[in-house]
Amino acid sequence: MMQDTGYKIQDKDMHHASGIMHQRTITVAVAGNPNSGKSTLINAIAGTRLYVGNWPGVTVEKKSASFEYEGTNIKLVDLPGTYSLSPYTQEEIIARNYLVHEKPDAIINVVDATNLERNLYLTVQLLELGIPVVMALNIHDEALSKGYKIDIKTMEDILGIKVIPTVATKKTGLSDLLMAVTASTSGHNPKKLNYGSDIEVAASAVEKQIKNNYPQLLEKYPLRWLVFKLMEEDSHVMEELNIGDSVSFIEETTKHLKKAHGDDVESIMADERYALASGLTHEVLKKPEFRKMELTEKIDKIVLNRFLGIPIFLAAMWVVFKLTFDFSAPFADWIDAMTTGPFKRWAEAILGFIHAPAWTASLATDGIIAGVGFVLVFVPVIFAMMFFITFLEGSGYMARAAFVMDRAMHAIGLHGKSFIPMLLGFGCNVPAVYATRVLENPRDKALTSLLIPLMSCGARLPVYVVFIGAFFTAYAGTVLWSLYVMGIALAVLMGIIFKRTLFKGESPMFIMELPPYRMPSFRSLMIHTWEKGKHFLIKAGTYILAVSILVWFLLNLPWGIENKKDSYLGKMGQVIAPVLAPVGFGNWEAASSLVSGLIAKEIVVSTMGEIYVQKKDEKKEQPALTDDLKEMGTSFANAVKDSASNVISTFGIASLSSEESKEEKEERSPLRDVIKSKFTPLSAYAFITFVLLYMPCVVVAIAMRQEFGTWKWFGIAFAYQMALAWIVAFAIYQGGKLLGLG
Amino acid sequence: MNLADLKPGEHGKITKMGALGSLKRRLMDMGVLVGEDIKVEKVAPLGDPIEVTIKNYNLSLRKKEAQGIEVEVIS
Repeated sequence: MMQDTGYKIQDKDMHHASGIMHQRTITVAVAGNPNSGKSTLINAIAGTRLYVGNWPGVTVEKKSASFEYEGTNIKLVDLPGTYSLSPYTQEEIIARNYLVHEKPDAIINVVDATNLERNLYLTVQLLELGIPVVMALNIHDEALSKGYKIDIKTMEDILGIKVIPTVATKKTGLSDLLMAVTASTSGHNPKKLNYGSDIEVAASAVEKQIKNNYPQLLEKYPLRWLVFKLMEEDSHVMEELNIGDSVSFIEETTKHLKKAHGDDVESIMADERYALASGLTHEVLKKPEFRKMELTEKIDKIVLNRFLGIPIFLAAMWVVFKLTFDFSAPFADWIDAMTTGPFKRWAEAILGFIHAPAWTASLATDGIIAGVGFVLVFVPVIFAMMFFITFLEGSGYMARAAFVMDRAMHAIGLHGKSFIPMLLGFGCNVPAVYATRVLENPRDKALTSLLIPLMSCGARLPVYVVFIGAFFTAYAGTVLWSLYVMGIALAVLMGIIFKRTLFKGESPMFIMELPPYRMPSFRSLMIHTWEKGKHFLIKAGTYILAVSILVWFLLNLPWGIENKKDSYLGKMGQVIAPVLAPVGFGNWEAASSLVSGLIAKEIVVSTMGEIYVQKKDEKKEQPALTDDLKEMGTSFANAVKDSASNVISTFGIASLSSEESKEEKEERSPLRDVIKSKFTPLSAYAFITFVLLYMPCVVVAIAMRQEFGTWKWFGIAFAYQMALAWIVAFAIYQGGKLLGLG
Repeated sequence: MNLADLKPGEHGKITKMGALGSLKRRLMDMGVLVGEDIKVEKVAPLGDPIEVTIKNYNLSLRKKEAQGIEVEVIS
């Protein structure tokens, strides 16, 4: 496939070698409907040159790439997928502002050939901007196999632009497309489409007014676009122009138009644009007379079936959940074993060799290496989650999932798509927060992120297990189950409360395309997964490392303390303890453990272990490089094996790894004995409830910061969860005492 | 009669885009226009939202949103 397209992008160096010095640089914006295969097209063109960032000030992804093609430097900027350029969604505003203010040299308009009419509606709007447009008539193979005949020549003539058939998934037509793009910038601007005499008469009147009275606007805005926006009384443009009341001439000129059509100008214009799109479609598209039932319809008959829809959805979600966490867990364990094992030993050996003071060794191993390990442990799960989410979105099932679940999720003020991030929260809240990017609306995203921490994640399980093992062995399952249910019930309650307070007002609309099912290209999946994962590693990694070092300081300073009570952490625990007295565990040990849970909730257990149980003298292991390297190799091979067998067993028997290994049981038994003497069953239950609910861990905080660009939402989550944890634990403890359970 | 009244499998012609506020423009951008043929395909398993076919593609919307779209049934 690649050979016959002749598609090739030269490396910069090659060109310099060939002596071409003066190169033209052009900026090309890529615009198109969602599901038009736009991302696949960009991935196919730019590949690993792709840079993924955010649009300034918002959390919408911005992809760009710079490369050289036939002596021209091309800078591609991917605009968010939109159906229109009207300023009603964040995506539309971004796309429109970029096109109007940044004035790219050309636009690639990606059009889904199987859905011409609706896609051409955007094309018509792009042509209003007066920027050269080249159409990538994408998914052309599917249109052909459906028996569609598209008259490309006529389409080019009517629109006055180049139309290039492409199949992004097979990299077909890309070379022609780039060639047309570079040629378009030196050609003439696209044709003006005729919007019918009513509109055109009014438009030329407005145009004359602008030319006479506001000539300064002509430099800033494309004329025809400006005329139309003024006629539509577009609030964003009106505000930007700041010409306020002096625009009464517009009302004057559009009065006749409104009267004749009995509607507002915005609607008249939308109607006309669609009329142009459908007129063009009728002109160029020939469809076979008999339409056979399509695959998408067949699948949807089952997948969206009244009775089967929900079971199928739940089964699909279960598979995704299991695959995400089962696939990644062995690799996470391996990374953990490596950083706490060989790496730590080597660092100790090196620092010992150069006679570094003890505290530096501790900082290097328990602070820095442990911190790096802590970041790396998240990598497999983040990558796995990104992979499956991208697959769900790319295949078209995400929209179905939203369709099936919307009713239930809407009841607590959420969107149908919120279900998936919430579900992932049971595995780990961190990828769950990142997964909220499947939601388009900022409000949905924020509310979902606020509720995710109430989903009891895997890191809380060790805490439950230790306490349940100490007090509730007889009915362990019921107690564990009650915690999960409590989290969900409180999420429902908080959802309803937030909906009425923080997010008061109209809930966002649910107007969503159900795109045809398509197999996402593997290349595209890998690029997306890699780009998003890399983002996490760099941005979040830095923060996590910093916090991890900070916690080391808290735990170990002042240096040389005998008793953990004298550490900064212990002192913090002593300060906080009285606040926790009414909820049943007002001692510094419990309080300090909770503070250390800031890093990750399972650390509550290890801190308790350090505080309560006197450490036996550990035998110093002598590092042996060859043994360590061998161990790293074999344990990685084991991780691969475990991961594979986990994935296979996903389809067998469920195995939520809630059971402790034998070693863990032995290791924790002294801790259990101490806990039994320090807690009552009632205060123990209050404690694990508190652990379930109190504040999200620091990595969740960083994920929220990264996704929203502000600490605001983490701040709210922190505050409400602290309050909620205290209130619920208080109710349990005091209520239990009243009932005589304490 | 409005779009929410149509049963799965029924066709309608849009006669009026009612009091929809900012939804109206959004729906128009998606091709939901007066005079357009629209067919209700499915109702979600929990009773809401609904799936319709319009302009040769599938769109889903909540019943509350569909109530603002006036239709007449085509048999």
